Amino acid sequence: MIAPKKISITINGQVCEGEQGQTILEIARANNIYIPTLCYMKGLTPWGGCRLCIVEVEGNPKVVPSCATPAVDGTKITTHNDRLVALRKATLELLFSERNHICPICPYNKGDCGLQHQGLAHGITGIRYPYLYPALPVDVTGRYFGIDHNRCILCTRCIRTCDEIEGVHTLDVSSRGIKNQIVVDMNTTFGASDTCTQCGACVVSCPTGALFDKAAAFRGQWTSSVQILTTCTECPVGCGLKVHTKENRIVNVWGDPDSPVNTGHLCVKGRYQTWAEPRDRITTPLIKGQPATWDEALAAIKKAAKVKKAEKALLVAPRVTNETAAAIAGVAGKFGQTAMFVGANEAALCAEPSFTGDALRKLQDADAIIVLGAQPTRDNGVVASRIRVAVRKRGAKLLIFHARKSELDRHADVAANVVSLESKLWNKVKAALAGAQRPAIVYGPNAMTPIGVTVMERLIAIFEANTGGSEPLLIGLPVSANALAMSRAGIPAVEEVGPWLDAKPLKFLHIVVGDALDGGAGLLEEKYVPALLERIDCLVVQASYKSALTDKASVVLPATIWCEKTGTVTNLEGRELPLRPVVTVAGEARDDKAILESVYA
Amino acid sequence: MWLSGCSGCHMSLLDIDERILELVKHVDILFSPIVDIKVKDMPYVDVGIVEGCVNNTDQEHELKMLRERCKVLIALGDCAVTGNVPSLRNQFALKDCLSRAYEQTESTKIACIPNDPVVPKLLPKAHPLQEIVKVDLHIPGCPPDADCIWFALTELLAGRIPQLNEKNMRYD
Repeated sequence: MIAPKKISITINGQVCEGEQGQTILEIARANNIYIPTLCYMKGLTPWGGCRLCIVEVEGNPKVVPSCATPAVDGTKITTHNDRLVALRKATLELLFSERNHICPICPYNKGDCGLQHQGLAHGITGIRYPYLYPALPVDVTGRYFGIDHNRCILCTRCIRTCDEIEGVHTLDVSSRGIKNQIVVDMNTTFGASDTCTQCGACVVSCPTGALFDKAAAFRGQWTSSVQILTTCTECPVGCGLKVHTKENRIVNVWGDPDSPVNTGHLCVKGRYQTWAEPRDRITTPLIKGQPATWDEALAAIKKAAKVKKAEKALLVAPRVTNETAAAIAGVAGKFGQTAMFVGANEAALCAEPSFTGDALRKLQDADAIIVLGAQPTRDNGVVASRIRVAVRKRGAKLLIFHARKSELDRHADVAANVVSLESKLWNKVKAALAGAQRPAIVYGPNAMTPIGVTVMERLIAIFEANTGGSEPLLIGLPVSANALAMSRAGIPAVEEVGPWLDAKPLKFLHIVVGDALDGGAGLLEEKYVPALLERIDCLVVQASYKSALTDKASVVLPATIWCEKTGTVTNLEGRELPLRPVVTVAGEARDDKAILESVYA
Repeated sequence: MWLSGCSGCHMSLLDIDERILELVKHVDILFSPIVDIKVKDMPYVDVGIVEGCVNNTDQEHELKMLRERCKVLIALGDCAVTGNVPSLRNQFALKDCLSRAYEQTESTKIACIPNDPVVPKLLPKAHPLQEIVKVDLHIPGCPPDADCIWFALTELLAGRIPQLNEKNMRYD
């Protein structure tokens, strides 16, 4: 690749170096020269719509938007003079007069709003134009966020984010002129949208309070919050989180833009589900449902655990930290059997854990992507967004095999939800993959079934024929958050808990549910498990949230949740990612590792 | 002068605290909600400060009268500057607003829209001051900080037009 040509421009008399193809704004920012913007957002295609970033280029009688104007070598730029400031003020006044920007009733006031900030920075006290006071709707049908068109300035950052980052293009603009409005799908609501993934990236991108998070509204300004970086533990992708906190409470959860994994993007799980849903937290130990002290609970467990080793078992959710996993491996010798419970066909995926370095970045560069037996739209939203962007923006082919129907199917060249081995399908597959030079196979639990293995072998053969022997990028995508690293730590995976419980008669069972959002209730959905649990003398459940499972327990031990933990998890790329405490521990909850050690070490 | 506003801007004026003693050395407060003078006796003044927007016929009359009787007119606070919260009704027809307020509330016992001739008529829309009269200075804020008000008053006393900026001004 040829290195871009170096160019040099003069901004406000200062000589600034840049590269051919960079915009005036990019070079100015790189040289710490401030130009006000509203519709510009790093990482998105420039729009040039808000006109705040206008500059003068010597020799050009017109002003130009610096965000959308490529710099030309040797030009002289002026960013601030009386004319430019007057134009910017007029633009801002028009924006203020166009809709109902009533700052006192907006949660994004006091510093969070780009429009308010620019108005104040430009010293605008009153508006010289008549206010239009248009009657505009507010859509609060979405589960986690809403849109108030009264506050919208039509900068289209949400639209570009939805299209270019999440890759679904749910949002767009309807109508013309003064009637321009952001629309969801074909003018429906967030609640009724069948394309919106609820990733909430649009809300983060919104410079005003038009798009707002329901749970974060009026919790405090993010601009004056303390921001703590940690890691999402809801799936094996391990996205970086930037958690906004104030007075020991979470204000909002955004993606960490500097994370090499997700570069600031999140899915609905990390962005909202961990904190914006009502859940009953367990804050004290419980004995037979009644609050107890830790000493009482530990004494009760130690007494009940005085049974034969073969009659004791330890069952763990596949989402604990690496440190807790090591602790589990350490105390496993005291139990007849120890296992982590994983989803269908996931045990084989964990049996020989394989990590793919830099998988997410490479995935976005692939020119053909196969999704085999995985459900990224449901389980790993950020992977799904990377796939959509590769397909929609970079022309990658997408083939889906042996997976449930999902939103991803409509972007696919071939979507064989039920795989057949007919030659008709495989001729289509070969045609779609012809010429693929950088193929990637994202394989999930169902790839481990006999049909999945057959498909995998055939695909690799096709790729190898195409590329003359080089192997495709293989990305193993388990559902469970830290199952790969836990497996590596020596904890065996079990898919069917029923037979596992039934194999030996048990008197004592300790289940580490940890901060699983369902409080372990999912275990009870498996056939026979509720009945088998009834037969156990002492059921200890270590969990953060109340559930049907904790209701059944003889002793419940309160565990810390994601935003209270310290430790590491390992993502599917093999990165060791840190968990940092964001808020102090609720009530008497304790860390999973500390609990296990205090009971069994 | 107190038009359609919550009186929070007046409270913010009082928030200049002991500086008010300094202020009254230089100015006389001739007309205010706390000075018992009827509108018809409104005095001629140097500076008229108005909180709130113009919502009804009486307020329109009062504001126009003040404009004639003052040299410098200040719109104090967001209601006077932008219409703010009282202007939320501008998105709806007046009869719908009245009906919602007097006929449809959860606590309505006898539905009746006030129609006594003594009650001033609501205007079809709420108006920021500048839509009715010429305004010489806008001080936005809900309410403006006491320091901002103090700055504006001291600048006026010094014979200058106050230049508000990012540091002393707010919209919320």
